[in-house]
Amino acid sequence: MNKSLQTTHVKLLAFDLLSLNPTSDPTTFSRSATLLLSRAEILGTVTFRDYKPNKFLKFTVDDGTGLVPCVLWLNHLTSPYFSRRDPASVRVVANVATDFASQIKIGAVARVRGRIASYRGDVQITVSDVVIEKDPNAEVLHCLDCLRLARKCYDVVAVRNCK
Amino acid sequence: MASSAIKSGALVTLAELHSSSPFFKDGTSLRVTGKLQDYSVETAIATVADGSAILKVDTQHLRDLSFRVGSMYQFIGELCIHPDNEPILQARVGRNVDGLDLNLYHQSLQLLRQFQTDHMNNQSNNLKQS
Repeated sequence: MNKSLQTTHVKLLAFDLLSLNPTSDPTTFSRSATLLLSRAEILGTVTFRDYKPNKFLKFTVDDGTGLVPCVLWLNHLTSPYFSRRDPASVRVVANVATDFASQIKIGAVARVRGRIASYRGDVQITVSDVVIEKDPNAEVLHCLDCLRLARKCYDVVAVRNCK
Repeated sequence: MASSAIKSGALVTLAELHSSSPFFKDGTSLRVTGKLQDYSVETAIATVADGSAILKVDTQHLRDLSFRVGSMYQFIGELCIHPDNEPILQARVGRNVDGLDLNLYHQSLQLLRQFQTDHMNNQSNNLKQS
């Protein structure tokens, strides 16, 4: 399988992302048994929000082709995972995540980047970056981007390099 | 409401919401787009139009959305078919989309559906081969 896009945030429509298959490596997913992916960029309307202060924000992004569950971790200041890192850097990361969480509101159109993960057997995004889109054409343009990339890049990358 | 209870709103044009359409089912989750033709503050019922097609939208669950006749709106919600066969969308999400290129939106919808059909065909072919 082709690994050339494994470190790229690939633009995917929800139904495409949700149809990825897990591999033996929990951080990697396969698309159509030809392409290995680890990161994704999605764009859609926020339709659900479950906020647990200092723990996480779970939300869903609906792009009209599917509903992508997303988790934004907000536990940087309490998790032992970050305890060995530079406290100042961790505070910056925590503040950025808190700012993202405040922007995620039901009805907002969000561009979300993150790691593709699996939770209880379903694909989800572990969020690393959020941009709220104000342009009413943003979803249409993202959709057209995804279609072009899928046809010209992802679907053919297994046989030749993506240009 | 748990996220698992929420469904994706399928993209449809108002012209497609006729009684023989596969989308014309009670409880179907849809996303519709149209120009606000009428809004009742008393009932919170909005009427949106796209060309000659119109749809009523129940907006009672929406907050922080102001309605202006002539503006474009997009709603996500569940279709409710009344006994007289009149559909009404029970909106759970709504936003103003003034500036949306409706022609581009309609064209992208056709391209998207073709892509989804091709994608599903490819996946079933891959399954047969494996």
